Amino acid sequence: MADRLLFSKTGRAKYISHLDLMRTFQRAFARAGIQIKHTEGFNPHPFVSIALPLSVGYSSQCEILEFELMGGASREEVPQKLTDAMPEGIVIHQCYPAQRKLKELTYLNYIMNFEYSEGRPLESETAMQELLHRDSLVVQKKSNKSKKGYTEVDLIPLIRGWNLECQSDTLTLDIVVRAQNPGLNPELLRAAFCECYPQMCPDFVTFHRREVLDENGRVFR
Amino acid sequence: MNRTLEHILPKVQKPARYTGGEYNAVVKDKRTVDTRYALCFPDTYEIGMSNLGCRILYGVMNEVEGLWCERCYAPWGDMEEEMRREGLLLYGLESGDPISDFDIIGFSLGYEMAYTNVLNMLDLADLPLRSEQRTELAPLVVAGGTCAYNPEPLAPFVDFFVLGEGEEVTLEYIQLYRQAKKECWSKREFLKAVARIPGIYVPSFYQPKYREDGTLEAMEIVEGSGAAPLVTKRVMEHMDDAYFPVKTIIPSTEIVHDRVMLELFRGCIRGCRFCQAGYAYRPVRSRNPKLLAEYGKAACQDSGYQEMTLTSLSSTDYPCLLELCDELLDYCAPRDIGLSLPSLRADTFSMNLMQRLQRVRKGGLTFAPEAGTQRLRDAINKNLKEEDLLQSCRTAFSGGWNGVKLYFMLGLPTETDEDVLGIAELAKKVYQVWKESTPNRARGVRITVSTSWFVPKPHTAFQWDAQIPVEEYQRRVNLLRDALKREKSITYNWHDPETSYLEAIFSRGDRRLADVIEWAWQHGAKFDSWSEYFNYQRWMDALSACGLNGDFYAHRQRERDEVFPWSRVSVGVKESFLWRERELCYQSQTTPDCRTRCSGCGANCFLTGGLCNG
Repeated sequence: MADRLLFSKTGRAKYISHLDLMRTFQRAFARAGIQIKHTEGFNPHPFVSIALPLSVGYSSQCEILEFELMGGASREEVPQKLTDAMPEGIVIHQCYPAQRKLKELTYLNYIMNFEYSEGRPLESETAMQELLHRDSLVVQKKSNKSKKGYTEVDLIPLIRGWNLECQSDTLTLDIVVRAQNPGLNPELLRAAFCECYPQMCPDFVTFHRREVLDENGRVFR
Repeated sequence: MNRTLEHILPKVQKPARYTGGEYNAVVKDKRTVDTRYALCFPDTYEIGMSNLGCRILYGVMNEVEGLWCERCYAPWGDMEEEMRREGLLLYGLESGDPISDFDIIGFSLGYEMAYTNVLNMLDLADLPLRSEQRTELAPLVVAGGTCAYNPEPLAPFVDFFVLGEGEEVTLEYIQLYRQAKKECWSKREFLKAVARIPGIYVPSFYQPKYREDGTLEAMEIVEGSGAAPLVTKRVMEHMDDAYFPVKTIIPSTEIVHDRVMLELFRGCIRGCRFCQAGYAYRPVRSRNPKLLAEYGKAACQDSGYQEMTLTSLSSTDYPCLLELCDELLDYCAPRDIGLSLPSLRADTFSMNLMQRLQRVRKGGLTFAPEAGTQRLRDAINKNLKEEDLLQSCRTAFSGGWNGVKLYFMLGLPTETDEDVLGIAELAKKVYQVWKESTPNRARGVRITVSTSWFVPKPHTAFQWDAQIPVEEYQRRVNLLRDALKREKSITYNWHDPETSYLEAIFSRGDRRLADVIEWAWQHGAKFDSWSEYFNYQRWMDALSACGLNGDFYAHRQRERDEVFPWSRVSVGVKESFLWRERELCYQSQTTPDCRTRCSGCGANCFLTGGLCNG
């Protein structure tokens, strides 16, 4: 029976890559004295699996990791013990037995912050609204499978809902997008916006994953 | 995190190298800190984080109240470009603060080809390169590590060098600095005082005087400086009292040596005549096996590492190796922690040990016979017998290994064509052994022969000797290549001569080479040990721009009474001993190892009672 962790990855930890993060967890379990199931075979190692790889540089408060708790701590003790053994920026919130299948995880809620150091252009709000209200928004996406090196994907059907908020120097997009099969990397939205409205291209965009949701838009755990 | 940094990081490769925040990184409250130290390594994060010496110093310094030591590495080209564009100064990884605001900037020098990175890092910190241009007390620029045993090529850039093991002397000079800061000393006042601490070499207090032919007449002591005629390196006399980094930074991204490193002993009993480490780290001092086992287990526990390696210059020479390995294996095996043992000698004992350790994974086997004939191995005092090597290979092949790497040097003093061809003969014998002993011939075997171009180093028996000319090196490479041409199972790799030539120039170089380093850096040199950046022609241009001839440093045979640029530096080994070793080489005579018989090198001066325990 698999166990799950809910954890966040923010601050300096944002830059730890997916593979490095798995290694970090394997070591942190060992440091914390928490025994977890090892893989079998020629070169046994602690087994961990992270549900939806997060791009380097994105922060998140809803990451899910699967493993199998063998001993050394109760589920209640795991979050504190493991957090203490982690690098700065990774905090474990919950440890619980897995009940739903990971494939039921359907949507992701991202907060994208478009930052304008010289002040936000006023028209950026309507521009973003215009973009997201389109019937279709086809962009090119890098692909290793395709001969051309990219495939075309329509972003609009992959968006479940959104909300826009504006401040004097930022534009905040709160958006729910498909998580997998296929998923939408919100970077594509930023790129599409900058391509359609180059004069309103922000100086910097931050990406934060706020929640994982099921098919009905309810919180997935 | 700094906003500029946050905006830069998404644009660069492997950003986790530039963030800090790793497990066990030390973050102190600035209000409780009066002295800030930037421990700099002039190479990438992956290389610098693998350095055990830096981990020790980081731990030693951060145990001191009021002192905060942070790390700093050379940013890769993409990061440097972004930093320069955005005006982001080189910063300490822990705080993100610019190191130009720190009190002391310490560089670890392990390799001559990193010298341009030292300059580049000072520049990225927006500090003047030359010591004389930095007139304030802080920040002081300090350097230590193996290359400091010939400090001269970097002399104008560094305020003072620290010779030998840094655990104690680092705290001594920091303590002095704290007093100087409190009492508002001038930089010169401080340097005069710090020069009185044993093991500290203040280059501005020594003035090289050259003859017309370019050789040194003297390293004169600057009048009124009070500098010592001879600066002797520091050692930790009792290794059991020396700090061991049980709690050490565990990187969140992959580094080169990503495992627990358990340092068995310092020094080496062998006395290979070409080996700088073998002379410079004398005398041999071992750690107690019980203590080591405790350290090793505690370090695995604290780090969560799944791999541990025993380190030293020649692990087989550790007196209690079996006892230690057994105890560590009892801990490691049930936890799936791999135990590895590099630096093994190619003898039977080692092979048995190796089989015990590597029960599951069969990694590659590497031996370094260094020379192809017994005559030359005797001449360089590499006390390895052909029978031992072949027996080791036999054990390995019959145990299922199907690859071995053999390392040699070309251009060792007294080498003849017979010695060069002897390398091919030896490799062929290894192949024969494989044919006789492998349980599965169908799998084939991979024997790799690698040769490098011998670089004579300071403080060795060959410090007087010339590196052979490049054409001669190339001829010997071709000779060996032809001899191995028809052997399908033997791969021959040889080192490109360009970096070895530069190494030969800088390892025995004098202060005039500082201009060459600066010229090369101004013209874009950095990361010279990386093929992505190395440009040989730039170095040739730098030498001619400064009116210097590389062959003078690399290929010149020195006289017995040559005044070396490092003549004010002592590693505790007497020059007369080194010269005697050199003469024995030319007679192909060996010198027994330190445990068999003391040869009176002089390094016992570091030990109370003058007795090496071996």
